[in-house]
Amino acid sequence: MMTRRNLLRLILFVAFALLALGVLPEAWRRWSVLLPSLSPLLSLGGALAARSAGLLALLGLPLLVLPLFKGRFFCWRLCPMGFAAEMVSRLNRRNTGLIRRLPFIGKGLALLIIGSAAIGWPLLIWTDPLCIFNGFFAAWRKPFTWLSAVTASGFVLILLVSLIAPNIWCHRLCPLGGLQEWITQLGNRLRAARKPITQETATALSRARAGRRVFLGFALGGLTGVLYRHFGMQAAAAVASREAAASQRGQGRGLGRGRRRREQASGEQGTCGHDHDHGHDHACKCGPEHHIAIRPPGATATGFNARCARCGNCMTACPYGLILPDLGSAGIDGLFTPVLAFRSRNNQQEQFCFQECTACTQVCPTGALRPLTVEQKQQTAIGLARVFRGRCIAWEKQEYCVVCQEYCPYHAIIEVERNGVMCPIVDADKCRGCGACESQCPALPIAIVVNGRSRQPILAHPSPQL
Amino acid sequence: MNAIKRRSFLKTSASAAAVSALPSIPINAQEATAPAATVIVVHGTDIPKMLAAGIAKLGGWDAFIKPGMKVVIKPNVAWNSKPEQGGNTHPDLVKACVLAAEAQGATKISLPENPCHPEKATFQASGIADALKGTQARLYRPAKGDYQAIEIPKGKVAKTANVPKDILECDCLINMPVAKHHSGATLTLSMKNWMGSIANEDRRAWHRDGLHQCIADFSTFIRPKLVVIDATRIMLTKGPQGPGDLEHPNEVILSTDPVAADAYAATLFKKAPFDIGHIQIGHEMSIGCGDLTKIKVERIEV
Repeated sequence: MMTRRNLLRLILFVAFALLALGVLPEAWRRWSVLLPSLSPLLSLGGALAARSAGLLALLGLPLLVLPLFKGRFFCWRLCPMGFAAEMVSRLNRRNTGLIRRLPFIGKGLALLIIGSAAIGWPLLIWTDPLCIFNGFFAAWRKPFTWLSAVTASGFVLILLVSLIAPNIWCHRLCPLGGLQEWITQLGNRLRAARKPITQETATALSRARAGRRVFLGFALGGLTGVLYRHFGMQAAAAVASREAAASQRGQGRGLGRGRRRREQASGEQGTCGHDHDHGHDHACKCGPEHHIAIRPPGATATGFNARCARCGNCMTACPYGLILPDLGSAGIDGLFTPVLAFRSRNNQQEQFCFQECTACTQVCPTGALRPLTVEQKQQTAIGLARVFRGRCIAWEKQEYCVVCQEYCPYHAIIEVERNGVMCPIVDADKCRGCGACESQCPALPIAIVVNGRSRQPILAHPSPQL
Repeated sequence: MNAIKRRSFLKTSASAAAVSALPSIPINAQEATAPAATVIVVHGTDIPKMLAAGIAKLGGWDAFIKPGMKVVIKPNVAWNSKPEQGGNTHPDLVKACVLAAEAQGATKISLPENPCHPEKATFQASGIADALKGTQARLYRPAKGDYQAIEIPKGKVAKTANVPKDILECDCLINMPVAKHHSGATLTLSMKNWMGSIANEDRRAWHRDGLHQCIADFSTFIRPKLVVIDATRIMLTKGPQGPGDLEHPNEVILSTDPVAADAYAATLFKKAPFDIGHIQIGHEMSIGCGDLTKIKVERIEV
């Protein structure tokens, strides 16, 4: 029979699933940020890592205070992930006894996350149950690929575990449950301290060991965070040097440097051993391995991989299906983080990061993507386009084209005349990397391709669209 | 009974006309004494009145739309650009034409448009979505299934294209571009405007194969009954998207000859018509007359 408690949980489950699915009317869709933000691990952990809290971080406060008085009320009465896990657990009546034998791993996880967040590089943030729940439903967007199926697997995994060992997730593994367990204990101790000392309260007070454990957990989290950060920084530095190499090859310089670039290009070659600007694309393998991940606008410059919870919200929010889970271009620790893929990397997708749209920036629970206004978005460069002259219709075939210039919303394509035909050059001071040029380039293969930038500069040149 | 089939009748009469070169049908512009084409140029600020005055000069709406007809209007609504920026056809002009078609008793009015920017934002920013509220006209981006592949028998380079079915099935086709600068095609006027209705892969193919020839090729296939060019404000630079430098000729240009309309419109940009590749090719392929000396320009002040 459906009890009132389960009815409420079912309603919440459906409501949050619909929000995450992105099937509600457009005005509602941005509220997909609500559920993951309720977890203090995501919202407050993200704010702690960033050393700055937005309004969204306040959503994490209730679950920080509630357990002081009500214990794990949220877990047993409201949590949609807990509801699903409990329902599946009921299918298996066998008591494995695992709950008794296993320590509360989730409590350790919670400390690890907070400790490492304090360092600025939160660890294992993606084990949060609300994020896993959200990620599962957010994955059913278009285009649905095997990669998005992988990002949805956390939810399925929890259900499977619950089927094998009933209730193990909520009672032993869940980091959000673990956090609330700590706060519940704190509440109990505070209450006990106010009462006259009896046998019972004495034992509660004598649990000084708990404090030691908390300290150890934080310290371990911090230590791992430091190591994680070290290697993350190294990866970021590698990306930056690749980017510098790309710009050294003369990418997108202004008109006046044209000759210098050509001279440079003929003598000096890029890291890939080929000279793109000079027009050799014959057997060049400069494909994905030289691609720098393009982050959604508003992405934090440092520690993005750590702060991204992989909840899938930004990918579902993109009205054009441009944001996909990454598979290695952002480093091993960037697995499944959001990257923008324009036409050449996105199955001939003909849309681009539209200048009036800020949908993805509004739905990030951890602040890995900062909410941007349209004005801010138009001044933020997420990437840099690059012309492959050897493929370009204007440069190579001497035909009227410059579709890239037609589509560029930021007037970032400079036209240079060559034998009476206008040929495109990218102006790096104006290019926002929106991918409009790539979206319709008629050349085969595509002659203008956008690369990411390791940090997203705010361009001084005002957007002509404002 | 030797019933003459309509098609064979048309064929024989056409060849007869070609042989005898009846003076009433000036097929070869050089032979005709009368002007090869007429362009009506209406100057003013009240756009609906300007359209009405121009149409009256061409014989009134009855000459174009009869009750029960399916009408297609092809404005240029390609960019997320406001009416005053001159990136899209002026919403007042589109609305005036739609209202006229409704008054003439058209049963279906469609505006298929494949914009370069996301359609929702574009149709809204252009002011045309709002202008069409309350009318029976439908402005939409054709989905994959709305296109039909056609052949262009007279095309030299472009031999096929995917065209919205509404355009192929309509009784009255009205081309309603905005005149503006274009980085690839120098200017975008009426012939270039058809690139806004064909499918994206065709557009890309045209750029690869030679833009101007392909634009002209397609115009051998598509024959609008009426061309109305919006030159109330023209974008002189940074086209086709803009924003660029604007000028306000305050003109609406009407003709039944797309090449002649384009040739006149080019002069607003201080360009010789034959400097624009597709106008010259269009003239050479006898799609219309691009020679300004043979075009009669009638000016009306509203």
